[in-house]
Amino acid sequence: MAIYELTIPLQDTDIEQLNVGDAVYLTGTVCTARDMAHLNMRELVDNHHPLPENLQGGVIFHAGPVMVKDAQDHWQLRVIGPTTSIRMEPHAEFIGQQGIKLIIGKGGMAEGSLAAFKKHKQAYLQAAPGCAVVLAEGVSKVKAVHWLENGMPEAMWVMETERFGPFIVTMDCKGNSRYDTVKAHAKEKADAIMKEKS
Amino acid sequence: MRELGITYEEVYDLLHQACTTISPDVLYLMRNAVEQESYPEAKVFLQTMIDNVAQATEKDKPVCQSPGYPTVWIRFGEAFDMDPLLSYLPKALTEATKAGLIRPSIVHPLTRHNPGDSTGEGVPNIELQHVSGQEYVEIIMSAKGCGAELGNVSKILTPATLGKNYSGLKRLVLDTVINAGGFPCPPSAIGIGLGGQMDVSAKLSREAISTRSWLDHNPDPLLDQLEQELLEDINQLGIGPAGIGGKTTTLAVKIAGAATHTAICPVTINFHCWVARRFGVRIYPDGKREMLFQVKE
Repeated sequence: MAIYELTIPLQDTDIEQLNVGDAVYLTGTVCTARDMAHLNMRELVDNHHPLPENLQGGVIFHAGPVMVKDAQDHWQLRVIGPTTSIRMEPHAEFIGQQGIKLIIGKGGMAEGSLAAFKKHKQAYLQAAPGCAVVLAEGVSKVKAVHWLENGMPEAMWVMETERFGPFIVTMDCKGNSRYDTVKAHAKEKADAIMKEKS
Repeated sequence: MRELGITYEEVYDLLHQACTTISPDVLYLMRNAVEQESYPEAKVFLQTMIDNVAQATEKDKPVCQSPGYPTVWIRFGEAFDMDPLLSYLPKALTEATKAGLIRPSIVHPLTRHNPGDSTGEGVPNIELQHVSGQEYVEIIMSAKGCGAELGNVSKILTPATLGKNYSGLKRLVLDTVINAGGFPCPPSAIGIGLGGQMDVSAKLSREAISTRSWLDHNPDPLLDQLEQELLEDINQLGIGPAGIGGKTTTLAVKIAGAATHTAICPVTINFHCWVARRFGVRIYPDGKREMLFQVKE
């Protein structure tokens, strides 16, 4: 298990070195995007409009933060943590085409994403689920927000991060998925348990 | 009708505590799990989870960003006036949202419009239950993460598919846990509702995992045995915290049953994330308060 400290924007070479099981800390700009922000991004691209943020070499965090406004009317992050990534699986190829290098979330994604990760040199990072206070320590500033009309969780929050993590690489750009190996082993084990009982 | 004697401030305080820590029984199970976990990455995640709870309480922040779906169970026996309490609950939810303790995540099911203050038709979900002869009033507030909901399954088994020695039910539970993988924020817990019709089993599944201590035993010996057996079997699957491998997949299995029709056996499997934000209190007629889910060390 190697530990990497990566700076955003990322290059293909940053991603190629990552293997399932490695730990990663990130520094640079991270954008949140959940279900609705993905739909907004697709609509803009379909209509040949630019995205509100440059996502080349960027990082998308499947997350909805708790934000509060301070006395100066600036957004301040209270806590942030991962949401279930599989909901964003239909957008796998689209996200690959936008030049996004890392996706952070929980629970992993499926075959479509694994194929896109190979093709576009991307990887998936698992955040510790439900650890919103610990993760918030790595966010130094809220830079911008887009699509706030979607509601706080579904808006795109643009955040400056510093040694944000730790995240575990659970899907790499070589076709490996920790979720697949864990599930395959679990299925074998379940068959053995049921055989024992019959 | 008698006054219950609960104030708005007390209701808000219960909700505040529910947001900034996790249920004491669940924290106890998490501490045991980190001791027993042998997979290194799983151990790191479990320790991070425990640290996160401590930091949330210390910094007065919500333990998890996802507020889940708020449900309150109120069980009453004597004729107390419930109206003040019922009016305090939505107000407390809105105020806690404004205070940054709860992320505004309640939306219209079709338009997806988010009013931004955790209000909406049927929110919070309040389950009022009259328990004949019960002298106290019990209030349990629960916020169960909705990522966990994505793994839930309802199925109508038949006597044939229920199988010998309930093998059909056991297989369904194991398959459901495997398919859910890391979605329900494991280490999860599982509520199983058995019987009734589909709606009955669904309600029982949520009630079982949200209102019982995760350390208790089912008073029904058959269901108790099934709970222990399923817990052991699930933890042999190696899914682990966050679904990335490990010994700790599920902290508790709780089953609630109701009689059903001779042709069917409805089953609902309901996941609970490890971030068990719930607070329960019993209010006795003399005004005494007793907190629920405490661990006797």
